[in-house]
Amino acid sequence: MSEVKLVNIKKVYPVIERNKNKKNVNGHRTGNLQITDQGVVAVQEFSLDIADKEFIVLVGPSGCGKSTTLRMVAGLEEITSGELYIDGEYMNDVAPKDRDIAMVFQNYALYPHMTVYQNMAYSLKIQKASREEIDRKVREAAEILDITDYLDRKPKELSGGQRQRVAIGRAIVRHPKALLMDEPLSNLDAKLRNQMRAEIIKLRERINTTFIYVTHDQTEAMTLGDRIVVMKDGYIQQIATPQEVFDHPSNLFVAGFIGTPQMNFFDAELKLRDGDYWVDVEGASVRLADEKQERLKANHVEEQAVTLGVRPEHLLLADKGIAGRVTVSELMGSSRHLHLTVDGKDVIIIVPSTGGTGNYIGSDVALGFDGSNAHVFSKATEKNLEY
Amino acid sequence: MAESRRIKHRKTVSYAKWAYIFIIPFFISYIIFTLVPQLLTIYNSFFENYMNGLQQIGPNFVGLANYKALLSPGQSGTIDLLKYFGNTMALWILGAVPQFLIALMLAVIFTSARLNIKGQGLAKAIIYMPNLIMASAFSMLIFALFSKVGPINKYLVASGIIEQSFDFLTVKVSVRSLIALLNFLMWFGNTTIVLMAGIMGIDQSLFESAEIDGSNSIQVFFDITLPLLMPIMSYALITSLIGGIQMFDVPQVLTNGRGTPNLTSTTVIMMLNNFLSGSKNYGRAGAVSVLLFIVTGILSTIVYRMLAKQYKD
Amino acid sequence: MTIANSSRSRKAKVQLFILRVLAYLFIGILVAMCLFFFIMLLLMSSKSNSQLQGAFSLKWGGHFLENLHNAWNDASTNIPRGMVNSFIVAMSSALITTYFSALTAYGIHVYEFRFKRAIFTFIMAIMMIPSQVSAVGFIQLAYKFGLTNKLWLLILPGMAAPVVFFYMKQYLESVLPLEMVEAARIDGSSEFRIFNEVVLPIMKPAVAVQMIFSFVSSWNNYFMPSLLLTKPEKRTVPIMIAMLRSADYSKFDMGKVFMFILLAILPVMLVYAVLSKSIIKGVTSGSVKG
Repeated sequence: MSEVKLVNIKKVYPVIERNKNKKNVNGHRTGNLQITDQGVVAVQEFSLDIADKEFIVLVGPSGCGKSTTLRMVAGLEEITSGELYIDGEYMNDVAPKDRDIAMVFQNYALYPHMTVYQNMAYSLKIQKASREEIDRKVREAAEILDITDYLDRKPKELSGGQRQRVAIGRAIVRHPKALLMDEPLSNLDAKLRNQMRAEIIKLRERINTTFIYVTHDQTEAMTLGDRIVVMKDGYIQQIATPQEVFDHPSNLFVAGFIGTPQMNFFDAELKLRDGDYWVDVEGASVRLADEKQERLKANHVEEQAVTLGVRPEHLLLADKGIAGRVTVSELMGSSRHLHLTVDGKDVIIIVPSTGGTGNYIGSDVALGFDGSNAHVFSKATEKNLEY
Repeated sequence: MAESRRIKHRKTVSYAKWAYIFIIPFFISYIIFTLVPQLLTIYNSFFENYMNGLQQIGPNFVGLANYKALLSPGQSGTIDLLKYFGNTMALWILGAVPQFLIALMLAVIFTSARLNIKGQGLAKAIIYMPNLIMASAFSMLIFALFSKVGPINKYLVASGIIEQSFDFLTVKVSVRSLIALLNFLMWFGNTTIVLMAGIMGIDQSLFESAEIDGSNSIQVFFDITLPLLMPIMSYALITSLIGGIQMFDVPQVLTNGRGTPNLTSTTVIMMLNNFLSGSKNYGRAGAVSVLLFIVTGILSTIVYRMLAKQYKD
Repeated sequence: MTIANSSRSRKAKVQLFILRVLAYLFIGILVAMCLFFFIMLLLMSSKSNSQLQGAFSLKWGGHFLENLHNAWNDASTNIPRGMVNSFIVAMSSALITTYFSALTAYGIHVYEFRFKRAIFTFIMAIMMIPSQVSAVGFIQLAYKFGLTNKLWLLILPGMAAPVVFFYMKQYLESVLPLEMVEAARIDGSSEFRIFNEVVLPIMKPAVAVQMIFSFVSSWNNYFMPSLLLTKPEKRTVPIMIAMLRSADYSKFDMGKVFMFILLAILPVMLVYAVLSKSIIKGVTSGSVKG
């Protein structure tokens, strides 16, 4: 049992402290964060129940408060208000060492003067574990991460990927209730990052613990998380499974943040015709799918100007529809990304690459989409009108 | 239930109190051994407080009398303190001018890629060595070598350069030169190393682009090296000046505390030492210290500003 | 064209050669000056008093061990006692200065607290104040409380060493990411233990260099000890050396005097012979960066 529960967590950095630092709080940009009399509000209204052994990913652009939230769970950062429970126990005022959590840092933070073995054994040594127990646990963790051969080396003798494994090893060696990871893969090159991502998935199967994982990379979030918490400017934008976040983004920000290439947005009109919702966009008119009809009806959504979102893979070349002109054509291998200009705006669509040279550039095309793939967002609140 | 577990709850997870715990020894020590004595020094400077033989005079409050006494002419008609300050500055300048000139030349030579000097490590190790030698022992050595019956005199007489032994310690020029020589020897290596670090800290591409622009090495030195070296030069100069004002060990040991000849090599700190070790004249010594403190502060600010401005222009 | 070029390049080569010769000559003279006094000292300490009274000669005197024996066993100067006293003071000062400077630097570097900036500025400001300014009050207090001739009175003030603090602070900024401290916190280490087991080992190079510098400056220190240590058995080496000067040296065994000087500087010279490289490195990294 290791559930983590966060109730209405808030973090305010006093302004004085920020000025003293001259640097930004924890290296975060504080651009759009709310500033009150007490200071800069880095996180607010953060409530989340994390189930035992769940893999939660906090994702968002830098400065969104994801790392701050993680650090509050770890106890490295004071919680301004709200409550944190681990296994039902109130933890706000408990020192990190008594929370029974472990953490993997972005820059690994390995002790440079200790060998890999000593790095991994350090927390157990502090707990005054017996030498046999330390040895057993270190070797067990080293086995899982395949670093047994490096146990006698110092961190500086290891490659980036190896250091990453040691950092994880140091965290899992004492079987923490929760394993916190703060951008653990962002210091690795692209190839190694993909490899380590797969390793983390495997690792998860081997150790039974709750994961809280912070990243700015939406691919990591999608592939690793049981649930994703999308954050922006200190607020939670959406908490859902990767599939749900992808299929039903709760607002314009989430829709644009999750998925590559980014979702296309159009200015459109939401119309009611014969009791059905239609979107009119650039001369095309599409009836929304039945499930969307029901949800919009349940919300009593009225006719209005909306932002229409359609993912590039859901825009199809058609005989008539939204008119656009191809400006750039990128062959990605199995597919081709076409950049179009539609009414002065850039739109990307993905089409199958059909072998031919496909000289699309400069040609005028028409685009269509299915009513089940259209997302309508309020112009005023930027919220998905279905929810 | 939950209480049975060994989880320690604290007031906050803030670590600020540890900062205070960690810096408190520094401040306790500073307050006891430096700040309180400093305040006491200032306090003393307003009191008459000394030993006349075995008889304790004071402490009596006398206002600014100690300062007045220090800054008014004595029996000889000169103001002793100003004379000693002049001595101190003369001794410092005599040593510091060659120290900085030669250190600058050495630093440029050592860092020149064109000259590509070999054996730098050993040379640097040797020229820095005198900096670590005990000043009092070094002075004693110079004294023993240059004394009237010392080996230098013996050699000079034997080789016929001079007819009879010359007492270096009775002539103003030679005493001052010996003190300056000692200070120069002890510090030019240190300055060289500091300036070298400064030159190596300058972006190498600046030298390259200046050369491509057609500067010769002398122009590069005056147009690039020297201006960019100014901040570190100013730092070295200020520390040297402050060190110079505190000059004590070398003239004290070399002249046996007498500042021979005729008190022309007596420094301010030697005066302070005389007040303290002889008559325990805390009043007068306190006043000297306060003036010393003021002068040190002013001088370091002036030099720093001057060089900082030059650097900006 | 090519002929002109090659003659120009030959001229440049000759020029460079001359410059190089001049440079080596310049360095050579300065190196010789530094070595001259040291070599003279060695040479003179090998001569008996009568050899020194006699004609000047550059020959090895052959009385080195005899002088060493005489100097070591000289009852009035008691150099072994002085060296022990100096060693106690210098070693303890070095340990205390570096440990507490590192601790203070760490406290200010790692933690966020209200007076952080103010305290840092304050320490930077007092760095410039000459130590002699506090001497009057210090001596007065020492006499008042009967603390003259207490060696610890020369050691404990080392806890507050602004210059060493500044060096340590700069070093910490370059080597210690805050995540390292946080990792140790999560590993369960207490704040003191983090400093002693994680931070101090990382600072080892800085600590070593500063220990050497503190040791040397304490070993060589003359002003304060000469005012505080009045009992013969408490004297440190610099006091003993300075006293040689005030003695009537015409009655002195000069060979012995040179040997005293040699003994006074030898410990530091031996350390330097072994560690000159890291000491010189320490000189540069200790200074303010432009």
